[in-house]
Amino acid sequence: MKKFLSLLLLAVVALFAVACSGEGGSEESAEGESADSGEGSGGEESAESWEPSEPIEIVAPAGAGGGYDTTARMAMQTFSEEGIIEEDMGVTNKVGGGGAVGWSYIADQAGSNHHLFVTSPPFLLVPLNGQSEYNYEDFTPIANMIADYPAFAVAEDAEWNDLNELFEDMKEDPASVTVVGTSSPGSMDHIAFAYVAKAAGVDITQIKYVSAQDGEGVTQILNGSADVFSTGIAETAEQARAGNMRVLGVTSEERLEGETLGQFPTVKEQGIDAELVNWRGFFGPPDMDQAAVDYYVEKFEELSNSEGFADVRAQFGWNEMYMAPEEYQEYLDAQNEEFQSILDELGLGQSE
Amino acid sequence: MGSIEGIMTGFQTAFSLEGIMFVMIGVLVGTFIGMLPGLGPISAIAVMIPITFGMDPSTGLIMMAGVYYGAVFGGSTSSILLNAPGISGTVATSFDGYPMAQQGKAGKALAIAAIASFTGGTVSVVLLMIMAPALASVAISFGPPAYFGLMLLGLTAIASLSEGSTTKALISAVVGFMAVTIGIDPQTGTQRFTFGNANLFEGIDFLVIALGLFAIAEVGKLIIARHDDSLSDKRNVGSLKITKEELKDMRGPMSRQSFVGFFLGVLPGAGATIASFIGYIMEKKIAKKPEEFGKGSVKGLTAPETANNAATSGAFVPLLSLGIPGSGTTAVLLGAFLVLGVQPGPLLMVERPEIFWGIIASMYLGNIVLLVLNLPLIPYISKILNIPRPLLIALVIMFSMIGVYAISFSTFDLYMLVLFGVLGFLMRLFAFPAPPFILAFILGGMLEQSFRQSLSISNGNFMIFLESPISLTLIILSVLSFIFPLLKLRKKKA
Repeated sequence: MKKFLSLLLLAVVALFAVACSGEGGSEESAEGESADSGEGSGGEESAESWEPSEPIEIVAPAGAGGGYDTTARMAMQTFSEEGIIEEDMGVTNKVGGGGAVGWSYIADQAGSNHHLFVTSPPFLLVPLNGQSEYNYEDFTPIANMIADYPAFAVAEDAEWNDLNELFEDMKEDPASVTVVGTSSPGSMDHIAFAYVAKAAGVDITQIKYVSAQDGEGVTQILNGSADVFSTGIAETAEQARAGNMRVLGVTSEERLEGETLGQFPTVKEQGIDAELVNWRGFFGPPDMDQAAVDYYVEKFEELSNSEGFADVRAQFGWNEMYMAPEEYQEYLDAQNEEFQSILDELGLGQSE
Repeated sequence: MGSIEGIMTGFQTAFSLEGIMFVMIGVLVGTFIGMLPGLGPISAIAVMIPITFGMDPSTGLIMMAGVYYGAVFGGSTSSILLNAPGISGTVATSFDGYPMAQQGKAGKALAIAAIASFTGGTVSVVLLMIMAPALASVAISFGPPAYFGLMLLGLTAIASLSEGSTTKALISAVVGFMAVTIGIDPQTGTQRFTFGNANLFEGIDFLVIALGLFAIAEVGKLIIARHDDSLSDKRNVGSLKITKEELKDMRGPMSRQSFVGFFLGVLPGAGATIASFIGYIMEKKIAKKPEEFGKGSVKGLTAPETANNAATSGAFVPLLSLGIPGSGTTAVLLGAFLVLGVQPGPLLMVERPEIFWGIIASMYLGNIVLLVLNLPLIPYISKILNIPRPLLIALVIMFSMIGVYAISFSTFDLYMLVLFGVLGFLMRLFAFPAPPFILAFILGGMLEQSFRQSLSISNGNFMIFLESPISLTLIILSVLSFIFPLLKLRKKKA
């Protein structure tokens, strides 16, 4: 009998593990649809107010530990800590294709009111690259929450003191400088650099961009394999504070707050007219009920104004950037057009 | 100066009542989840992250670190007993561990794995403590050309991973290379062999292939051989006792692989999986009786088990001293740090010595707890083999599917698991060895990426591979390791 007991124990542990890590797995979605349609047909009263009737699944279209994942988890945690949403919530990671795998999963949940997902500029860039069959217009905007900013860093002993010196060299010989980033060409790190370099007058089609995963970007800057690290502020702050790297420019409108971050010069103050926000917000699946959208918009606004979320922003060095659906949509329309023209210039765009 | 003081603070943190308690919880959860086929440190850490909310950062991180190395420690169990690797770092463990268990020495195999894991873990913690600050420069010493050299050196071992036909081993390796190119190419963003299917964008996960080629293929073999009674009398677990000769056999690999594994772990991107393979291959090359490898050799089991645990401690060097996550698992661990408000990086040691040294100090305790916990459990755990075969087969399939599903919560991966299970079964039927496939799959991605990164950086000039002393050395070693066996062969014939 003992062996059966130990086996049973193993099985229980396994199921527990899977259930926990997958809180809100896909089995909910199946139930979700029937529950939703039941409520949707409820008539006028559901058009006025809607409340979640089952756990809400927040999809982070990337692996655990990244920007998408952190945003999703911190929002979820603050929602329940502040008592803004009482219903259970769970974060699912859908890794792959720079987000495309997650978007295709969400597209399959069309009409569900219990699914949300985190978005950021790759949500525009990846579809523009032709790497996703869905783009932002297929989904339901809910709210933008925070702003993070791209930053460009070099090794402490690099020859350039500011962006203008770097771009002067790049204008002479673009191939003499190696830019490293984590994303693949045509997505965030590459485009952020190209965007600023273009404003400075560099021939961006000649930029030498290398993609490096698993934290290799930092390694390549520190050992001199690559010259410029195009990444987010969070990835550079610690290295800058320790004196290993120098940040040549951040793309925020004004200098950021904080002891270390405040020392980073903006791109603008160096006379290059370029600003770029790494915004992060939340979207729902296609055809989400208006009542559910209204519910979430209200909750996310409350979250954005809460003290708990202010602490989270401070902890991760994010800025507040709340946008309601209409404003968010317009913002994305404008940015999408800008990205389209840059990608076309780089020959990476898949214009229809 | 402050270093000694820091170490003292670390020990105080780790050996406080809370510290001890949470190390034990961490390694307990880690080792149990690690034991399950397919579930490894990533799942274990992900399960534990919500528990750390609101905890004191140092105790929380001591626990999370325990979950991580505990899972690597426990990962060998299912490799040995079921040929179903719990984590990628223990695939090489099954090469000799599973045959040993099949020979009725399951208890012994588990004991050897536990002792080797303990030794690898403990020696590397000592190295970590003495050299962590100094090793930061080693961790970043490898540029793309050097990684290319390292991967090349690993590849020269393909021939030595096969029994019999070298041609078949090479074919198997080539298919492995082809499989790893599936997905979006990071250097150009181009889709390769995805057929527009979003499920293939990220490529095929290593565990899908490992569980398919090993666990599911083995299940196929067991089903075919179900009337073969000769297998069933070998089901006894055997004694745990390790003889003096066996201990002597273990000594060499343990002392060498503790160091090799640790240094490979320090390099971001190399990690436990590559360390375990290189450890295995290295021991086979220098062994007096290499023909015993793959048939239940004590050395062949000791080497990867020591190396993967040593590499796990090594992986803390870039994470703690530079804030560089060298693997998917340490990236998740980095996420756990951030959630607790701790930013790993060059200043962690100075500003938060209780966390930096606390984690390292807690690993001594963690490894002892793991050994004490695992050894007495072996007789019970290895009774899994006494489960009637039909039930055991069903359980292996179920756990493999749970493990694969837990990677990405996608049913598509389950079909891939079946596909690779069938492939693995056919490979066995026609005597194509699976290890070269796996090795090519592990090394191929990095080999290709570092090769292309190097050439991008040098604007297409191949001299970049010979300019840096590290890559030059590694390339020379690769050439030697390729030519040497050929020369030996000639001498024999002459």
